[in-house]
Amino acid sequence: MIIYENVSKIYSSDSPALMDVNLRIEEREFVTIVGASGAGKSTLLKMLYAEERPTRGNVYFHRNNLVNLKNRHLPQHRRQIGTVFQDFKLLPKKTLGENVAFAMEVAGKSNAEIQKATNQILDIVGLSQKIDKYPGEVSGGEQQRAALARALVNKPKVLVADEPTGNLDPISTWEIMQLLLKINEFGTTVILATHNKGMVDKLQRRVISINKGRIARDEAMGKYCI
Amino acid sequence: MFAKLSRTFKSGWKNLIRNGSLAIATIGVITITLFIINVQGATVFANNTLLKEVESRVNISVYVNTEMSEAETLKIKSEIERYPEVKSVEYISREDALASFKELNSDNETIQRAISELGENPLGAALNIRAYNPDQYQAISKKIEASSFRESVLEVNYQKYRGVIENLNKEIKSNQRMALTLGITFSVIAILITFNSIRITMYAHQKEIEIMRLVGASNNYIRLPFLWEGIFYGLIAAIIAIPLSYFYLKIVATGDASGSVLPFSNSRFIQSFLSGYFVENALWIISSQLFLGVLLGVISSVLAIRKYLKI
Repeated sequence: MIIYENVSKIYSSDSPALMDVNLRIEEREFVTIVGASGAGKSTLLKMLYAEERPTRGNVYFHRNNLVNLKNRHLPQHRRQIGTVFQDFKLLPKKTLGENVAFAMEVAGKSNAEIQKATNQILDIVGLSQKIDKYPGEVSGGEQQRAALARALVNKPKVLVADEPTGNLDPISTWEIMQLLLKINEFGTTVILATHNKGMVDKLQRRVISINKGRIARDEAMGKYCI
Repeated sequence: MFAKLSRTFKSGWKNLIRNGSLAIATIGVITITLFIINVQGATVFANNTLLKEVESRVNISVYVNTEMSEAETLKIKSEIERYPEVKSVEYISREDALASFKELNSDNETIQRAISELGENPLGAALNIRAYNPDQYQAISKKIEASSFRESVLEVNYQKYRGVIENLNKEIKSNQRMALTLGITFSVIAILITFNSIRITMYAHQKEIEIMRLVGASNNYIRLPFLWEGIFYGLIAAIIAIPLSYFYLKIVATGDASGSVLPFSNSRFIQSFLSGYFVENALWIISSQLFLGVLLGVISSVLAIRKYLKI
């Protein structure tokens, strides 16, 4: 369960990135966040994986106030949150398999454990045939699926997807959306920030619209509308 | 824990290899630094040993008039033995003095001929005085100058030694200063260059570091490869510097001292000292070089991590 409580983030005083945001996201929810570029979507998500801290207010993740999170507890917190981005963030000199395994290596898992989980998750995202390919050798959609696999391999409670389909063609976009829904069905909370109107309208899930750092609309079966 | 150590160890090693020519330059600078420290250390050590050796050999020789009889000389001897500073007095008879003088100049024909032509023994008896402490020779020498038997004494040769020891002391002091200055200067240069190499590695791994943070790598897991990299630079440099200084000291020890350009090879004593120095102190030298190398690497890594690795 995630709670944003009167959260403001002010980089410069004349245009705050977030202003008095109050938000509650239940476990296993699928939430889409929409808004123009610079509306504050990314800032909102960054606070969840503690890349940014609010200027005012509190962010709770399972009763822990992330405002008070100590630096040394940060890694432990981040392992509970998977992240995917528009630019995939795969390491070009590692194969897709190695990229996925990397997330487990840094968590100190054993090699046997890593191999098993990597194969399993790559199978789920449909990349078991491409495990030894390098990111440069596969399509954008496949790269994003590998990134998704990496985000999920440590079994996070929450998946944060910041414009995951921004660089993808419609078919790949569709595939990624299907995967996100599947992941959500498995029990992972999904928080998706996107510009893709068609997708949002088709999803028929909760939509939160952000405008100039404030929540403009929050609908249980929302449409893309800004 | 072990998995983390071995994984960061491996990626630290990979980082070093991928740095290529930069890694070679870094290792080269640390090697030179360790080499200079080792050779300067050997010099200081050799000079100190030389000083101790000279001090231990110091004595005052009192040469008595040739007219003095043995009994009279022995009376002087027993008087000197009563000085509290004096450890022992050795009596060298006129005959012994001549014999040792002849032996000392056995290859000098002119001297040999001169002695035999002289017919009689030109040397007087001598008393070799040893003090408990090298500092006490001056006092002993003064006492003899003021003594009742001053008239019977031909020469007290303390002054000669004093000059030698003072000069040697001065040389050692300036030597130590130079060793310290060189050692510190090169250490600072080595640290700066290693620091820079590690910084460049960090720059090349920006993306990897970003991803590590996102997937929840612990701070130490992100830092350790860079620490290992610094340690590797130092270790490799030490492994090169140890044989390098060994062969260098060997060349100095066996080379022609007179024509040498090396600053401290002008003494035969130091040469003979250096020839045994490395082997006798091998354990100490090797472990201190490895330690210093690792220390330089760790300092550089820690500085780079603190300054550039934002976690």
